[in-house]
Amino acid sequence: MAVRTIAAQEKAGIKPLSGKPRAFLKQVKKNSWSYLFLLPMLVLVGLFVIYPLVASIQITFYDWNGIGKPTRYVGLQHFLTVARDPLFWSAFRHTFTYALVLVPIQLTLALILALVLNNPRLRGSLAYRAVYFSPVVTSAALVGIVMSMLLGNVGGDLSAKLVELGILKEPVDWLGSPQFALPVIIGVGIWHTLGYNLVYFLAALQSIPRELYEAATVDGANAVQQFIKITLPMLRGIGLVIVFLAILGSLQVFDLVLVMTGGGPFFASEVVSTYIYRFAFTPASIQAESNVGYASAAALFMGILVMGLTITQLLVVRYVRRHRSEAN
Amino acid sequence: MSVAAGSVKPLPVRRPPRLKPSRLLIHAILISIGFFYMYPFLWVLAASFKTPGEFFRSGLSLIPEHFMWANYVYAWNAGHFSTYFFNTVVVTVSVTLLVILLTSMSGYVLSRTQFPGKKVFIGGMLVLMFMPAGYTIIPIFDLVQRMGLLNNLLGIILVQAAGGLIFNTLLFMGYFSTISREIEEAAVVDGASLPTTYWRVMLPMAKPMIATVGLFQFMINWNSFWIPLVLTIGNPSLRTLAVGVYAFVGENSTGWTYVAAGAVMSIIPIMIVFFFLQRYFIEAVAGAIKG
Repeated sequence: MAVRTIAAQEKAGIKPLSGKPRAFLKQVKKNSWSYLFLLPMLVLVGLFVIYPLVASIQITFYDWNGIGKPTRYVGLQHFLTVARDPLFWSAFRHTFTYALVLVPIQLTLALILALVLNNPRLRGSLAYRAVYFSPVVTSAALVGIVMSMLLGNVGGDLSAKLVELGILKEPVDWLGSPQFALPVIIGVGIWHTLGYNLVYFLAALQSIPRELYEAATVDGANAVQQFIKITLPMLRGIGLVIVFLAILGSLQVFDLVLVMTGGGPFFASEVVSTYIYRFAFTPASIQAESNVGYASAAALFMGILVMGLTITQLLVVRYVRRHRSEAN
Repeated sequence: MSVAAGSVKPLPVRRPPRLKPSRLLIHAILISIGFFYMYPFLWVLAASFKTPGEFFRSGLSLIPEHFMWANYVYAWNAGHFSTYFFNTVVVTVSVTLLVILLTSMSGYVLSRTQFPGKKVFIGGMLVLMFMPAGYTIIPIFDLVQRMGLLNNLLGIILVQAAGGLIFNTLLFMGYFSTISREIEEAAVVDGASLPTTYWRVMLPMAKPMIATVGLFQFMINWNSFWIPLVLTIGNPSLRTLAVGVYAFVGENSTGWTYVAAGAVMSIIPIMIVFFFLQRYFIEAVAGAIKG
């Protein structure tokens, strides 16, 4: 029966039978429904999560045009080429610029808005919150397309309006100039996901016990003192998580860049994920150096980096939490 | 941090409005920001009704001179948006249901039964949670190709569902472990098998978690771009809305009003869902950070 085979496989991945194989088998058999309930999930995760993780390492050792079997073994050659490609490093720099400019600005704005909207006496704060949150439910790709229509020379023509108002001296081709493309994408990125962080901060602010503020008011502390002495320290735990989530999210930026500039002009807004996409999925007829193996090497390189950051996040958050519980 | 879960909105203590100048200023600022947030949506809505001439002439205006419903007709038929819409609905609904079903099943047995290998399983899931997603698209594409799933929606559905399984299993596991065992034990005493207990007793009690997971999955999958983009490279008839609008930009470099109509068709459904369920959306997001 199918159930037994699964149970047997499961058994293979388990520690030595500790001298009681019969009791163990009995346990496995008794719980056959449990294994059966996990099976569909295990199959899908195995195929589309675990296997790709393993296979993505293997592909990096080959030259491959993506059709049929990988052809030529090249060892670590791709990693060396990635490390020597100035375009990779500029994409790398743009990715980090995107994250390191976007995150502080977006989080500061989100925190300020959260502090304002958290005031229980402010009317309409739920409506404001819903409006600021609304782009979050829209895909980055569509946001990018709408924004590039609005900013581009096709209809929206924001820059003509700004010239008319005397803010700009001459019209600017926002997405067509190497100088403005990345900053404009960053601006749109800030606009798009601000709502997430606003809601996170609101939730964090509401988790601070009101008594703390009441006591501080009795002691004569003003709003600024309360913010520095109560709000900021109390936000530290969740705040760290918010910061790391924002950084990790922005390092993976792809949709916005692809639809707004495709990484251009002249690679001025290219990020690592569009770089990978370009090498992996542009037909060789259009771009001769398309090479799935090479793209995989770049992807693995970035993936390891992101994983390192994730682990750092975990350790830092854990450290801060422990530190605080000791302090209390 | 023990916090009353789900209470995101400010306390409903409201005093009669006192229109102090400072408060007026705050509202003025908040409304300006709100305008900044609504404008792109209103603009693309207006653009979707404009004639090509007006689109280029009227620039930033929010009210079209004529309502060109023909833009929608063109995008729907000639622009293949009827197909893209259908594909998006099929993918979104299938993935959402699949994720709810599989993760509630696995979450249930992980929280309620003790079996050899359980610790390894949970440990493995936690490790995978921290693996970076998005950088493994190349082998995924290759695998889907070799499974022969590049020419139907099943490939997109399975890949997208797989991406949501681990996190949501952990959510369901946490949720089921908070439910009292008494009702379940009564069912077992009555001789109900594990599947019956799951389907008749536990699943109905997990409605709030089903709603949260369902809402998130609906939003993520309606908007997903990267996976359907890559998996439909060779097969335009499988495109979803977001991919369709993007491709439309490339293929109709002059038809901007049609692009706008296509964009509106992709945004409106999710906006309607958000409008009616916004409290739940926002509470689900807020709940995620506190956990």
